[in-house]
Amino acid sequence: MTTGSEAPTPVLDVIAPTAGQVIDLADVPDPVFSAALVGPGAAIDPERSANTQALAPVTGTLVKLHPHAFIIRTSDGAGILTHLGIDTVQLNGDGFQLHAAEGDEVAAGAVIVSWDPATVETGGRSPIVPVIALDASTEALTVRHEPGPIKAGDVLFQWSR
Amino acid sequence: MDKAEQILAALGGTDNIVEIEPCATRLRTEVHNSSLVDEKALKAAGAFGVITSGSVVQVVVGPEADTIATDIEDLM
Repeated sequence: MTTGSEAPTPVLDVIAPTAGQVIDLADVPDPVFSAALVGPGAAIDPERSANTQALAPVTGTLVKLHPHAFIIRTSDGAGILTHLGIDTVQLNGDGFQLHAAEGDEVAAGAVIVSWDPATVETGGRSPIVPVIALDASTEALTVRHEPGPIKAGDVLFQWSR
Repeated sequence: MDKAEQILAALGGTDNIVEIEPCATRLRTEVHNSSLVDEKALKAAGAFGVITSGSVVQVVVGPEADTIATDIEDLM
């Protein structure tokens, strides 16, 4: 990623990993995410489709890949967590298909996981997808999208680096 | 003490742990007695937050959760 010809980007665009409705992080039904304990961000209530795709919200290294959550770290060290539903660690990977491997270099928009949010919901869990700027200060983040419908790949928030 | 040892001690020690499981950013711990959990000590050990609900204590430690969980399991 270091071509040497480009100045470092001062603002990191973080794109929506999936289509759905943007909601405030404060409205996520989980105290860790809603209080921004691991960082600020935004959340998406995903479309209910049997083969919903979760895309890489930024370009970087896939430093953590769980079936229900993944973290991408950019070349300048920004970590973005995408979490597919609430309490979904309890599903032990059931219903999640991985399309990448931990350690992969991925481009923003690459398919990382596919899953069915409706199955998560019928299992009694919230299918909401928090997208978190890990360890970022609240002031460094600008949410670019009002609550409401968003397409996968649209800019969700920007992180001033 | 390293971070894992501090967290284990603050959770009431090995005898108090029923189960410990890492999520993306937190340790989900089931304990026998949640009154033995020292929230202040957990924060001193580096936890960003602690959420207790009955016997389940979630310790928010950030993305290194799985490494810390492995370290704690090694101590148990």
